[in-house]
Amino acid sequence: MFDPLQVTLKIGASGLEAQSKRMRVVSENLANAQSTGHTPGADPYTRKTISFESEFDEAMGASFVKVAGIGRNHSPYRVEYSPGHPAADAKGFVKLPNVDVLVEVADMREANRSYEANLQVIKQAREMISMTIDLLRSG
Amino acid sequence: MTPVHLFNVISQNNRWLAVRQATIAGNIANANTPGYKALDVEPFAAVMEQTRLTMAATNPAHMTSAGEVKQAAAVGTEQPWEITHSGNSVTLEQELIKAGDVNRAFKLNTSVLKAFHRMLLASAKV
Repeated sequence: MFDPLQVTLKIGASGLEAQSKRMRVVSENLANAQSTGHTPGADPYTRKTISFESEFDEAMGASFVKVAGIGRNHSPYRVEYSPGHPAADAKGFVKLPNVDVLVEVADMREANRSYEANLQVIKQAREMISMTIDLLRSG
Repeated sequence: MTPVHLFNVISQNNRWLAVRQATIAGNIANANTPGYKALDVEPFAAVMEQTRLTMAATNPAHMTSAGEVKQAAAVGTEQPWEITHSGNSVTLEQELIKAGDVNRAFKLNTSVLKAFHRMLLASAKV
C-alpha cells in the first residue's frame, strides 16, 4: 500500500509536467507566429495544440494526468498581400501562420494558473508530512 | 475513552485526510483534462462505520472485513460548482478550499496528538 501523501506528491508532479509541456507548446506557437515558408506559395508554420488525458493508476489508486498528444490545428492560414515576399505566390499573396497571439497568451495564463494550483497542493502535502515528522520532536 | 483509543482515531483520521489530499491532487492535476469528473472521498463518519470492528482471522481462508481505510475505494463524484464546455467538472478554487480544509484538520490532529504525547511523556519521566 502506497502512502497517500507520497502519491499526492507524484500526482502533483504529473500535473506540473503536463502544464509545463503545455507552456512549451505555447512558446513554440508564439515564437513562430510570424514564420512563413521560404519558397513561393509554401505553407507557413502550423499552430500546434496539446491535449491532456487522465490515467488511472490501479496500484496507487489515483488518477494521474498525462499528455495525450501534440496535434496540429488545421484552421485556415492568414493571407496577406505582399508581392515582394520570398514566400509570395503568383498573385502576390503570402500565407501567414494560423497563430492567434491573444489565444496563445490566454492559454499561457491558464497553464500558469494550473501550474500554481499543483504547486500549492505539493506544498501542502509536504507540510502535512513534516507535521507528522515533527511529532517525534515533542520529547 | 482511553488515550490509546484517541491515538487510534487520530491516526485513522489522518490516513483518511491523506487519501483525501491525494484525491484533491488528482482533481487539480486533471483540471484541464477534457471529460474528467471531479472526485471526492466519502465522509470520515462513513469510514468509521465500516471500520469499527474487525474479526480476527484465525485461518488464511477467512474473508477479511475492511479493517483498514482503503486507499481509493471511497471515491465518489461530488457536486461541482461548474462544468466547462469540455465536460470537466474541476474548479480550482473549490479544490484549493478543500485542500486548505484538509491541511487545517491535519494540523489540528497532529497538535492534539502532540499534546497527549507530551502528557504521556510527562508521566513517564517522573
